[in-house]
Amino acid sequence: MGVPFEALIPYGIMLGMFAFSAASVSKLREIQNGGKRARRGIDAWDQQMLERDRRLTGFVRGQTDRPEAPPGFEVNNPWRVEKRFY
Amino acid sequence: MSARQPRFTSQVLIDTTPLPDDIPKVQELGASSAPLLSASFFIGARCKAYNDDYMMCKTEANGRGEFECMKEGRKVTRCAASVIRDINEHCLAEFRSHWQCLENHNQQLWNCRPAERQLNKCVFDKLKLEKVIPDTPKGEEPVHLRKRQIFQSS
Repeated sequence: MGVPFEALIPYGIMLGMFAFSAASVSKLREIQNGGKRARRGIDAWDQQMLERDRRLTGFVRGQTDRPEAPPGFEVNNPWRVEKRFY
Repeated sequence: MSARQPRFTSQVLIDTTPLPDDIPKVQELGASSAPLLSASFFIGARCKAYNDDYMMCKTEANGRGEFECMKEGRKVTRCAASVIRDINEHCLAEFRSHWQCLENHNQQLWNCRPAERQLNKCVFDKLKLEKVIPDTPKGEEPVHLRKRQIFQSS
């Protein structure tokens, strides 16, 4: 008892959709992380180090091993501010 | 520091006013997180005195440490930068392979022991800085020297 090939077309479409979304999400994660593997288990210290990397290199996952910071690094640390309460 | 930390931090303010001229300038440390983590034990080995000095100053300044310990802080910055500069000069290939491994493995030291061993060896040969993990139990092999590793994620 052979199965007619028309019965398999929907399964092909479903598998293709899953594969497409998986490939898209992994490509997106790769772009977001600059080609490196994603960080996980980020705590407050990691968070502020990622922010410092962004201030140093312009990209959250950017890394640099220069001993001196680029000019302007010492003044680009943002103050967290909120709307004034009256 | 103000009396109350801001909670609803919807915005940030970047104040580009430089420090006043009566405060001596120091070049900020330019290494980012993974190179700093990779070099951290060597920074500790060379700069322990400066770091302890700074922390003691801050403890004794009763909350005014940010202002009163700037001299010690500049020493800490300069010392750390000197270590990074020396490692860059003498062990650049090992250093890069280690911190790139760290960056690819969620910055977990136990995932990059082979690269770390080479870096430790190079830094010890060229700069005489040895990685010592402080406050480890006596008479036990430190974790970075063990031959056999039980946990490792890929």
